[in-house]
Amino acid sequence: MKPFLLCTLCLLCLATRLNAQTLTISGEVARPVTLSAEDIKALPHQEVTGKDRDGKELHFSGVPVIELLKKAGVTTGGELRGENLAKYAVVKAIDGYEVVFALPEFDPAFASQVIILANRVDGAPLPAGTGPFRIVVPNEKRPARWVREVRSIDIRFAK
Amino acid sequence: MSSKYRLYGCLAIALALALTGWTSWRAVNTPLTPYALRFPASFGGRFTIPADNPTTEEGVYLGRLLFYDPLLSHTGTISCATCHRQERAFTDGRPKSIGVNGQPTSRNAMSLTNLLWVRQLFWDGRAGSLEEQAIMPIHHAGEMGMKPGEAARRIQHVPLYTQQFKQVFGTDSLTDTLIGKAIAQFERTLISASSRYDRYLAGKAALTEAESRGMALFMQAPDPARGIRGGNCAHCHGGPKLYQELFHNNGLDRHITDTGREAVTGMSLDRGRFRVPTLRNIALTGPYMHDGRFTTLDQVIDHYSDHVQAGPNLSRELTARQAGGLRLTAADKADLKAFLLTFTDSTFIRNPAFTRPATLSVR
Repeated sequence: MKPFLLCTLCLLCLATRLNAQTLTISGEVARPVTLSAEDIKALPHQEVTGKDRDGKELHFSGVPVIELLKKAGVTTGGELRGENLAKYAVVKAIDGYEVVFALPEFDPAFASQVIILANRVDGAPLPAGTGPFRIVVPNEKRPARWVREVRSIDIRFAK
Repeated sequence: MSSKYRLYGCLAIALALALTGWTSWRAVNTPLTPYALRFPASFGGRFTIPADNPTTEEGVYLGRLLFYDPLLSHTGTISCATCHRQERAFTDGRPKSIGVNGQPTSRNAMSLTNLLWVRQLFWDGRAGSLEEQAIMPIHHAGEMGMKPGEAARRIQHVPLYTQQFKQVFGTDSLTDTLIGKAIAQFERTLISASSRYDRYLAGKAALTEAESRGMALFMQAPDPARGIRGGNCAHCHGGPKLYQELFHNNGLDRHITDTGREAVTGMSLDRGRFRVPTLRNIALTGPYMHDGRFTTLDQVIDHYSDHVQAGPNLSRELTARQAGGLRLTAADKADLKAFLLTFTDSTFIRNPAFTRPATLSVR
């Protein structure tokens, strides 16, 4: 009976892991990473304010994307020069929606705004259909790149 | 036998040998003709043709033969074209297709149109390339019912095919993979870009007043607070190709019976999500939805306007700003439908390059 229970528990854990939403950073990186909601929660957060499609101002909390990229060993800061400036990030949502950012857009050495991967809005977790993770580009006039339900960030070279 | 006849006999044999040799030499050595894929610039170049399966005139023709050949089904009665009929923009007019076992398949047959640009095929996006996709219905027990390798064995000794495969792929040994490659080549050529809407976009045709009003509703996001009605269809079905490559739950059921994309990704957030299909030739491709539950476009428009169900993972585009539905009027719905009818491409459904090849009859 015991092995059976153990098996069931293992299967349950596996199922939960599969179902838990994760963020994958891959491509032109030193080490591909897959981060869980807990992993992301444990990283230093920053607050930003931005206007959503309906013009309403929202207060988001999340991790600056640059910090996530550093975890995967993406060329940032002093390394973001020369051919590395021909790299871009494809941010992909669960539903298949994809948008592109150039690496300097995330990097404080270049950009005056901080693009975050938000996991909370106005003090609460992001609602279903938006979370668990959403890109927020605070100063962008149209929130078309505020990707909801972010699934992965793929770093590529323009070829 | 006199020596004269013996000489003629020898000559005849030599000639026959030379001819056979020449034919097979030609089959291997004649360079293949690249197939010119033609489409409007607005369709864009976001597609990949595998380096090991370039699109050639000869390969496309072979794929077309296979597409129409019922030999590729277990019973010898069903070809790809049975469920993908050109006159219906390569659908079959049934809610669900009927497979070799006489039973309905699990989902509605999708229109084969502008697949060159589709990156994840089938309602649940389970195939990442046309090469991979093309062989799946052949191997599906409930569709064409062939065991792995059976299709290749079935046509291995059909002279029409041995010669064609030799010419296109340079090999005598047929495989299911090669069958998939050839069909994929044919599928890439199924380009529809000549509807009245295409001509309107190119500035070569005008829309009627009803169609223009319908187009405005198609593009407009609803904003009840400001009294603006709209279908916001373009959010998912917009652009010149009339679809975005997305997987959404479009609110058919409160309780999901077909898990859809979840079965492919294993993510619960994908439960009940399906491909956003193209609206090209939509008037010809009913019944509608992944399970073919709606027989008319009126029912489809009614669904989006008034009957969207708040099941799990319901598309945000169908919940935002529309509590109580879109509340389109009867006149709005008629206009919207008039616009949808402009997506019909009669050139596509009559294109002789896509019809059943006559060669099949003398196989």
